[in-house]
Amino acid sequence: MKIDGTVVRGDHFSGNIAEIRKFAVMSLSWLTVIFVAVWGVCWALGIFIPMCLANSSFDFAAILSEVCKALTPIAAVLVFIPINAMFMVLMERRALALFTRRNGPNRVGPDGALQTAADAVKLLLKEDITPTGADALMFTLAPIIFFAPSIFGALPLLAAVTNNHKLFQIVDLPTGIFYVLAASSVPVVGIVMGGWASNNKYSLMGGLRSAAQAISYEIPLVLSLVTICLLAGTLDVVSIAYQQSGGLLNWNILGGGALIGLNKAIAALVSSSGAPFAEVMNAYYPYGWLSFVGAAVLCMCTVILFGVYLIGACAEINRIPFDLPEAESELVSGYNTEYSGIKFAIFFLAEFTNLFIVSTIAVVMFLGSGDCPLPTWLNPLSYPAVYEPLAKALSPVLSVLINDLHLINPPTFWAALWVIFKTYSLIFFAILVRGTLPRFRIDQLMDFGWKRLIPITLVIFVLVAFARGVINFHV
Amino acid sequence: MEQFELLTNWAQVNVEAFVLYALAIIAIPCAFCVLFDRAIIRSGFFLIGVFGAVCGLFLILQAQFLALAQLMIYTVGITLVVVIALMLTNPRLEKEGVAVEGRERFSGLVIATVFFLTIYCALRSESWPLSSLRMNPENVKQIGAALITTYALPFEFASVLLLAALMGAILLAKAEPKNDVSKIAGEN
Repeated sequence: MKIDGTVVRGDHFSGNIAEIRKFAVMSLSWLTVIFVAVWGVCWALGIFIPMCLANSSFDFAAILSEVCKALTPIAAVLVFIPINAMFMVLMERRALALFTRRNGPNRVGPDGALQTAADAVKLLLKEDITPTGADALMFTLAPIIFFAPSIFGALPLLAAVTNNHKLFQIVDLPTGIFYVLAASSVPVVGIVMGGWASNNKYSLMGGLRSAAQAISYEIPLVLSLVTICLLAGTLDVVSIAYQQSGGLLNWNILGGGALIGLNKAIAALVSSSGAPFAEVMNAYYPYGWLSFVGAAVLCMCTVILFGVYLIGACAEINRIPFDLPEAESELVSGYNTEYSGIKFAIFFLAEFTNLFIVSTIAVVMFLGSGDCPLPTWLNPLSYPAVYEPLAKALSPVLSVLINDLHLINPPTFWAALWVIFKTYSLIFFAILVRGTLPRFRIDQLMDFGWKRLIPITLVIFVLVAFARGVINFHV
Repeated sequence: MEQFELLTNWAQVNVEAFVLYALAIIAIPCAFCVLFDRAIIRSGFFLIGVFGAVCGLFLILQAQFLALAQLMIYTVGITLVVVIALMLTNPRLEKEGVAVEGRERFSGLVIATVFFLTIYCALRSESWPLSSLRMNPENVKQIGAALITTYALPFEFASVLLLAALMGAILLAKAEPKNDVSKIAGEN
């Protein structure tokens, strides 16, 4: 745009492209740093130390290596959370700047890449103030209760996003998704506690709003995930992730497995070996057109469920347009008004970690976890003719890393890569929503939750329960 | 739960007993705080602590599902109780501390004794056989099957009871406010 306000044609686009490039470079370098660090810690603790201890003759060594292995998942989470939160804050600020055509933070480090690291240091060095009249014990406990579930709650997901790597099998619970949901219902206690203990009317209001909102939106959120569990027939996140392997058509967002038959039939058609197309279709869709109607209904239902999940999750973690508990313009940032220094940092950390966790849940439950979106019959890498020469060419370089040091585990590597891509895309989407939508009013929020979302999810639940009867799943 | 056994074998002690005592150390003081804390909100939060510890008890009894249900229902439920307590109590009264009359004290004592005796008798009249069976990996599936076969009737009764409670709550909340002040409160 020129100074007099006229828009030069094309300027609109070319002006932003440099910023987009900077954003991409920044994101990729931060992501590399994060995941190399996290995997480095996991590898050192879970593989390298036990490998060194295996040769020693101590009695104690075996126990020590077991303990190291058992501690790997929690160490991974503890290393991941702070670095990731730093990156996500930066990503959010840069992305919002992109959407509004500003520059965003660009002074600290190359293109502002170290801005949030500097912010974190500043926050930790600040004075920690407890206001007069505040309940000191509750005031201190609140950030901890808010933060603890985000450390422990996400553990079962670790097994699902790493293709069940043997280091993370210890956290693969049979009640996986239920555990995650139970843990995600705890933070609201922290918010109410913090709001009440601050001895500030705005904070109390924020806490009360948060309680009302979290309880209203937890119902559609849980119902949408329960419906997916109904389709999957299990609560175990690793099984749910495995059921979705084999391309886009198998993902839960497209019918929760209703299209597996179609996928297999097309694969049979393409490979022209094995069972013929019609036979496979009959095995999966035994009732003719009724089955096809059922599959169509299921596809529609799961897409709506995905939407409901995203809305519910947004409300659950208090993000715009549902950030009423901390509405700056009315409540001067609500429940965390009185917090400063490290306690505020913990609230902040937990908020961004929760955004990451709900995105990961969406990826695992709806978007096929670590699965490549291309169906197997379309994916060139799944054909031996393409795959084998490639593997042969790379094997001298990689075999030391893969077989001797166990530094790279190919199934985990690809799964993690896809999960990272999908999760951060969802986070980017959440930021886009934040940059687009205004905040709800509290009565609109309640109406929307109770009068729209809950009836929709209940109807879908019943529809799915009937529709799944006319299709054979996971034969 | 195998980790418990590994640790037990290694340390030559009963780790489960240790965890039990650790949970008791959390639960019992929290329970006393629920009773004796002046600020009703704070006692609500202590109640969450008690239920959290009970959730831990379920975990060492290998009842994962029950533990999680406990956490999910009670944390959210008690947050609601706390919110209601916040709205119904006057914070200024808490600081003054209302003196309890003699007659109230007596009736409270009677109710507490009867309640304690009821729970005590209920617990003692049942035999609690110890089982060394391992937890079935399909624990959740079994609970689900039991709920719609063996315990179908109690399950339905419980849901009807909850439905009645819900309708009662709606009826109470729906009462039209008479004067202007309560009208404003009702809108919020």
